[in-house]
Amino acid sequence: MILGYLGAGALLAALVMGGFSAVLSFWAGFEENAVMVQVGRRAFYAAAAMTAVASAVLMWALLSHDFSLAYVTEHTDLSTPTALVAAGFYGGQEGSLLYWALVLGVLGSISLVASSSLGLRISGYAAGLMAVILSFFLVVLALVASPFDLLSITPPDGLGLNPVLRDGGMLIHPPVVLAGFASFAIPFCFASAALLAGRPDSAWIAHTRRFALIAWSLQTTGLVLGMWWAYHVLGWGGYWGWDPVENVALMPWLATTAYLHSSMVQETRGQLRTWNFGLVILAFLLVVFGTFIVRSGVVPSVHTFAISAIGPWFLAFLFVCITFSVVLLVARSGVAGGGEKPVAPVSREGAFVLQNLLLIGVVAVVFWGTILPLVSGMFGQQRVVGASYYERAAGPLLVVILALMAAGPLLPWRRAARLPSLRALIWPAATALVALAALLVAGAGSVPALIALPLVAAVVATCFMQYARLSAGWKSLPKVLVRRRRRYGAYLAHLGLAVLVAGIGASHFWQQEKDVTLAPGQQVTVAGYTLTYTGSEQRQLADHSELVASMRFGDATLEPGLATYVGLGGQALTHVAINTTPVADIYVVLAGANADGSAAFRVFVNPLVSWIWAGGAIIIFGVLLGNLGERAPAMEAVRRRVPAPAPG
Amino acid sequence: MIRWAIPALVVAACVGYLIYSASGGSAEYYMTVSQLRSHAVAGDVRVAGVVQTDVQKSNGGLHVTFTEQDGTASMPVEYSGALPDIFRPGITVVAEGRLGSDGIFHARTLLAKCPSRFSTTPYTQ
Repeated sequence: MILGYLGAGALLAALVMGGFSAVLSFWAGFEENAVMVQVGRRAFYAAAAMTAVASAVLMWALLSHDFSLAYVTEHTDLSTPTALVAAGFYGGQEGSLLYWALVLGVLGSISLVASSSLGLRISGYAAGLMAVILSFFLVVLALVASPFDLLSITPPDGLGLNPVLRDGGMLIHPPVVLAGFASFAIPFCFASAALLAGRPDSAWIAHTRRFALIAWSLQTTGLVLGMWWAYHVLGWGGYWGWDPVENVALMPWLATTAYLHSSMVQETRGQLRTWNFGLVILAFLLVVFGTFIVRSGVVPSVHTFAISAIGPWFLAFLFVCITFSVVLLVARSGVAGGGEKPVAPVSREGAFVLQNLLLIGVVAVVFWGTILPLVSGMFGQQRVVGASYYERAAGPLLVVILALMAAGPLLPWRRAARLPSLRALIWPAATALVALAALLVAGAGSVPALIALPLVAAVVATCFMQYARLSAGWKSLPKVLVRRRRRYGAYLAHLGLAVLVAGIGASHFWQQEKDVTLAPGQQVTVAGYTLTYTGSEQRQLADHSELVASMRFGDATLEPGLATYVGLGGQALTHVAINTTPVADIYVVLAGANADGSAAFRVFVNPLVSWIWAGGAIIIFGVLLGNLGERAPAMEAVRRRVPAPAPG
Repeated sequence: MIRWAIPALVVAACVGYLIYSASGGSAEYYMTVSQLRSHAVAGDVRVAGVVQTDVQKSNGGLHVTFTEQDGTASMPVEYSGALPDIFRPGITVVAEGRLGSDGIFHARTLLAKCPSRFSTTPYTQ
C-alpha cells in the first residue's frame, strides 16, 4: 500500500521537475543564459533521478509481492521465479512505459553531461526537448497508465505470467529492445536542437552519432535476440514473421543505419547536412509511430495488446512530433544545406547516398505493409499482406544494397570516374563469380539465392581487401588496427552482416520440413538427416505435466516436448528440440501422441541458422571495438572553427 | 542537390513499382466470419474468429477440424499442421486459406493471437 503512494509521489515529483526543466531550458537556451541552462539541465537530472526512484519502488513492490498494487497482481504470482518477477517490471504496459522513461532519463542525463561543448543554445534546447519527451511519458504514467494503481482488496496471490513468456528470453529481449526504442529520442533531441539554434554545422554530428550508435547497437541486439527467442520458443521453424510488432522495431533501425553511413559523408566532406537531420528525425518519428501502432491495437497482429487508453495520447504525441519536425526541417533547410558542394555520382559519397535512398525505400516498403490494413480499412474491406509481399518488394532493394556493400568501400572519395580506381572492384566481382559457380555446381536452382549469396561472398571479399590494403603489410597490422579502429570495426560489422545475411538466405531458400507420424523404432529422413523415434513418456512437474518424446540423431538424443499447464486452463506449450551443427539446425516439434504409442512430429532442417546469431554477435563486437574510447575527430575540428559563445 | 534529384526519383519510382506490384499480388482480405459469409471472396483470405468447443484432432494432433465463430456467423475449418501452443476453444484465431465449395474453410496457416507481455488478459484478446 505504502509503496503505491511512494511510487506515485515519485512520478509526480519527476513530472514537476521535467516540466520545470523543459520551460527553463528553452528560455535559458534562447537567452543564452549559462547559469539557467545549467539549472535546467540539473532539473532534468532531478526528473531522471525521481523516475529512477519510482522504478526502484516498483521493483521493490514486485520483489516483495505487494499484491495491493494492481500491476504486481496482474503480472506476477508467488510461484514465479524471482528473475521473472523482476522481469515483470517491463513485462506489462505500465511498467514498460516506466522502464522507457527510466532509460530516457538515464541516457538523456549522460548525453547532457557531455553536451556543454556544443554551445549554450544547442545544449539548452536539447535539454528542453528531452524534458518535453520525458514529461510526456510521465504524464501518461501519472494519468492514464500508472503502475502504482491500488486494488481495493489485496488478493492473496497474483495472476502470474503466461507460460510462453516464462523463459530466459524474457529476461534479455524486451529490456534491450525497449531500451533501443527509448534511446532513439536522444539523437533526435540534439539534431532538432541544432536546427532550432540555427547551427547546423558538424558539432552536433559527432555528439549525435555516438548516441545514435548506442541506440542502433541496442536495437540490433534486440532484433537478433527477438529472432533467437522466437526461433527457440515458438516452434514454427522460423525467426521473422513480418508482424507489425517486428516491423516497427525494424524501421527505426533501418533509418539509423542510413544515418550512420551518411553522417560519415558530412564528417568527411561537409555534405548532406539537411538529409542527416531528416534521417535522425525520421528514426524518432518511426519510434513514436511504432509505439502508437503497437500499443493501440489499430492493426491486426498476432501479438495481442491490451486495448488501453494510451492510444489517443500517443497519437496526439505523434501528431505534435510530426508537425514540429516538418516545420523545423522546412524552416531551417535553407540554413542547413547552404554552401554545400554537390555529391559526385560515382564516388564513396555517391555510394552512401544511393545506399541511403535504398534503405529509405525499404522503410517505405515495410511502412506500407504495416499500415495497409489501416488504410484499406478506411476505404472498404481491410486487407493485409504476408511475407511474400515483403520478400518481393524489399528483396530487390536489399540485393542492390548488398552490391553497394561490396563496391562502395572500394570507391575513393570525391570521384572515381577514372579507370584505375575501379580496378579494385575486380576482386569482389571475381569472388562473386566463383561463389556463383560453386552454387551452380552444388545444384542450387533458386534465382534469388543465386543472386544474393554470391553478393554476400563479394562483401566478404571487399572487407578482407580493406584489411589487407589499409594495413600495408601484415607486420604493422596490430598497430594500424588500434589507430584506425573505427574503420576496422566498421568493416568487422560489415563482415558480421554478411555472415548474418548468409544465414538468413540459406535458411530462407533451403529450409526443408516434413510432417510425420512415427511408431517407436521408426525412422524419418529429412534433407539427408535421419532421426529415429525411440518412445515417449509423460512427466509430472510442479505446475505442469509434459509429454516428452525421444528421437535418436547420431549420438545425440533430441527430446521435443509438449507441456500442459492445468492451472492455466490446460494451456499447451511446445518445447522445441534443436540440434545445432555449423551447417544446419535439426529442429523437431512434437505435435502430439496417439493411443497406440505413435507420435506426430514436424521436423525442420534449417541450414546455417546459427550463422544469424554469430553474425549478430560479430556486428556488435565490431561496433564496440571501433567506437570504444573514440576521440571524435569531427568535434575537435569544429571546436576550433566555432568557438563557444562567451557566457553572459 | 539537383544532380541527385534524378537518381532519387528513379529509386522512388522503383520502390513505388515494387510496392505496387508486390501488394497487388499478395494482399489478402482480412475479415471476420460474418463478413466472409455476407460477401464470398474468391482466393485466399484471412478470417478472424473464436474457436468453438468442437475441436477434433486426428493424426497425433497434426490434423484438426473445428468451428470458427464470431458474434453472428460460424464456419467449419479444416487444417493440417502443427497447432499454435495457445490454440484451444475460446481463443481468437486468424485462419488463412480459402472457403471450399464443400462449405469448409481449408486453412493453410493458423495464427493464434499471441499472449503478449502487454496484455493483462492473454486468453480472450
